[in-house]
Amino acid sequence: MRAKLLSLLGGILLSGITYAGGFQVNLQGQKQIGMGHAGVGLARDQASIFFNPGALVRIRQNGVQVGISPLIAKTAYLEPEPGSTTAKTDNPLGTPFQVYGSYGFANDKARVGIGIYTPYGSSINWGDNWQGRFGLNELTLRAIFIQPTLSYAINDKISVGAGPVIALGHVNLQRSIPLQDVNGQEGHVELDGNAVSYGFNAGIYFQATENLSIGLNYRSKVKMEVKDGDATFRVPSAAPIASRFPAGTQFDATLPLPANATLGIGLRATDQLTIAADVQFVQWSAYKALRFDYTQTVNGSTFTENARNYEDVFIYRLGAEYALSDQFQVRAGAYLDQSPVENGYLTPETPDANAIGVSAGLSYQLTEKLGLDASFLYLNRKKRTDAADLSGGVPGTFKSVGYVPGIAINYNF
Amino acid sequence: MKNSLQKFGAFAFITGILLMAGCEPEIDGVSVSKGDLNLDKYVAVGNSLTAGYMDNGLYREGQLSSYPSILAQQFRRAGGGEFTQPLFTEDQENGSGYLRLSGFGAGGTPVLTPVTEKLAVRSQNPTLYTKYTEEINNLGVPGIRMSDIQTPGYGSSLGNPYFERITANPTQTYLARVAASNPTFFSCWLGNNDILGYATAGAFTNDITTPEIFTTNNSEIINALTANGAKGIVATIPDVTSIPFFTTVGPTVKGLLSSAGVPGMVALTRKGSARIVFAATQIKDATGGTILFPLTSSAYLPLVGQRTGKYWRDLARQAVPANPTLGLANILQNLQVDTTQLFGVSPGNPWPSALLLDDAEQKDVSDATINFNTILKAKAQEKNLAVFDAYTYFNSIQGGFTQNGVAYSPAFITGNLFSLDGVHLTPRGYAIVANEMIKAINTKYNSRIPTADITQYRAVLFP
Repeated sequence: MRAKLLSLLGGILLSGITYAGGFQVNLQGQKQIGMGHAGVGLARDQASIFFNPGALVRIRQNGVQVGISPLIAKTAYLEPEPGSTTAKTDNPLGTPFQVYGSYGFANDKARVGIGIYTPYGSSINWGDNWQGRFGLNELTLRAIFIQPTLSYAINDKISVGAGPVIALGHVNLQRSIPLQDVNGQEGHVELDGNAVSYGFNAGIYFQATENLSIGLNYRSKVKMEVKDGDATFRVPSAAPIASRFPAGTQFDATLPLPANATLGIGLRATDQLTIAADVQFVQWSAYKALRFDYTQTVNGSTFTENARNYEDVFIYRLGAEYALSDQFQVRAGAYLDQSPVENGYLTPETPDANAIGVSAGLSYQLTEKLGLDASFLYLNRKKRTDAADLSGGVPGTFKSVGYVPGIAINYNF
Repeated sequence: MKNSLQKFGAFAFITGILLMAGCEPEIDGVSVSKGDLNLDKYVAVGNSLTAGYMDNGLYREGQLSSYPSILAQQFRRAGGGEFTQPLFTEDQENGSGYLRLSGFGAGGTPVLTPVTEKLAVRSQNPTLYTKYTEEINNLGVPGIRMSDIQTPGYGSSLGNPYFERITANPTQTYLARVAASNPTFFSCWLGNNDILGYATAGAFTNDITTPEIFTTNNSEIINALTANGAKGIVATIPDVTSIPFFTTVGPTVKGLLSSAGVPGMVALTRKGSARIVFAATQIKDATGGTILFPLTSSAYLPLVGQRTGKYWRDLARQAVPANPTLGLANILQNLQVDTTQLFGVSPGNPWPSALLLDDAEQKDVSDATINFNTILKAKAQEKNLAVFDAYTYFNSIQGGFTQNGVAYSPAFITGNLFSLDGVHLTPRGYAIVANEMIKAINTKYNSRIPTADITQYRAVLFP
């Protein structure tokens, strides 16, 4: 009876701790957001530091740009038939931001810049009463990229650029443990850790004709390695249980932020109208599994591992800008986003599905040096039903929408 | 510039529309329907499982999470009527008293402690509970057998205290009470105790109900329930030998014998003085074996190999409280027990029959279960009723399963399904049973009644 009791407690918890998934955040420049986030084939503004460092040198003005895109996303859940229980996320406001600055020299043959931006992240809160709470209560995932950049014009037509990326990551994951105390309160685990990782961003920009430009951008994979994160457990205090969830446990985990290769074109159709189109390839297949290694034995094991097996995806972007005057431009765009999550692998961390984004934006030059950009993005993910039987996820139907108003100021000198 | 401002205004307007319209993601749920059913008055007929008995007692929390109560809640989503249970009051919420898990002994052995406050006991001898005689929908009576339903006086103070509790007229039989309930829909889960009592007592005391009585009484009660055209669901009897009450202690015995180098044991079988001898390897655990030890045997395990008559003294005190000394002498003589020999391992002082379910006894149980289930299903088919085949269902989950990220199995305490008595279910277990019944009802009656969120019902509580 004793051995049985202890060994079977093992079945109760940590069938797998999971976080993150299609957690890319494509909100790196207000002008580009307004155009369906296309911009690799354009040399539009300082955000080229992110979109295409090769195009940065074509920006003729020194300047800085600061923007923010508060992200309001909501997901609804319906359990599989014949159940009918529903849940809705109550997410904190996501705050992706963008800061870019650059300075040209050598007769504008070269330009240095720095970008600070947030290309990956997630903020999702299902609470501790929904049906999938033993999979997830809430997840906060944040990655801040800092990218010094050098861009150089080889000749009038071809320019290149590159920069190293320093990535600062933070993860906080909380879930319920199905062990109840005498008051019926369920157990809880919180995993919290930080990571510092490295990568790079490089691009080529080709001014094919006066009106047609082509860009190619490659952003490397960044392996976010959480070291010595804290695993904090709250379980019933009886010794045979509490001893299985030791205090002071730390964990290591690795989360790959995938490589991106994007081909973009820019077309000045008329003096007023500019069109941009991008095809973005995201190498999500780097994300095979999510594994946590613990410094102590937690409920009978020193690690947990859950399959993810993401697949590579393409994102298609199209946008247009129309200049009403030298001071005022309006934009519109759309994109088609494939989900990297295969059937059977859906998780409540990333209730992912193919998505359509539509966007609009405007820029207004307040003074000769000071400009204002605004954008709005509406994101609609397709309703998706999944058995979630391969990922240790939560089976059911998920539906997400997001809307992202954004604003930036830029100052040129 | 004026033109620009107009455009800006249009942009802001569109943005505003999107903000309002796209705010909430919606998923259309299943369309609920009662199909061919009339759910105005649901009546639940059955034993302790139906009453919400758990942790070796009937108390308010168990009543509130009884499977009929959960079913009625889900029926209400499809327009079902009110469902009244004979709830203990909050002041007497612990009802008959029950066992709680108060801690763990050496090596992780669970310590179970009786809850003795806020009881609804109105008389100690005989044990009687605070009456509840208003009209009720849940007629679950802990302990009732199929063979009891036509017994006069079963609702009197000399009958079943749980039936006495809900009975205003002590001469009314359970069958008459059920017949008078006049349901539009019913569930009927009877017959478990006709076998269980024999099994849990190690075939030492109670008898299994005869097939003749079982058939007759089952027909009577189903005829009564369907007399006015009510539809319903009938549940079969699970295999009691796979419940934690019988599967938890055996592996410990096997381990103890093995580590002490004892090759086997001697035990009494059935009610007489006949002995059986068996090897330690014949005890059932994960690696094999068949012989079962009930939970009640764990208290006497430490005495194996000692020269002791403690079990028989305890039995005599219980069986013949007026004269335990004489009672003991009679028992020892009838069973030819010599307590100066080594307990459980010598032919002279064998392991008691009541603390063991051997192969022959298990065959009695198995044969009766299969036979009774055939009778139950045949009658259900005759009346075209839905069937929840609990026998098949509980057999199918012997290896355990996972739902909502929680592991379930028929293991004691850790399996999340069975309560602390090892026989009855936890609220979570009852919710799972309710959902299985809903699936069977939907299939039979073209209804679309949604299942319950089982995670809202608790499993075992840990200190």
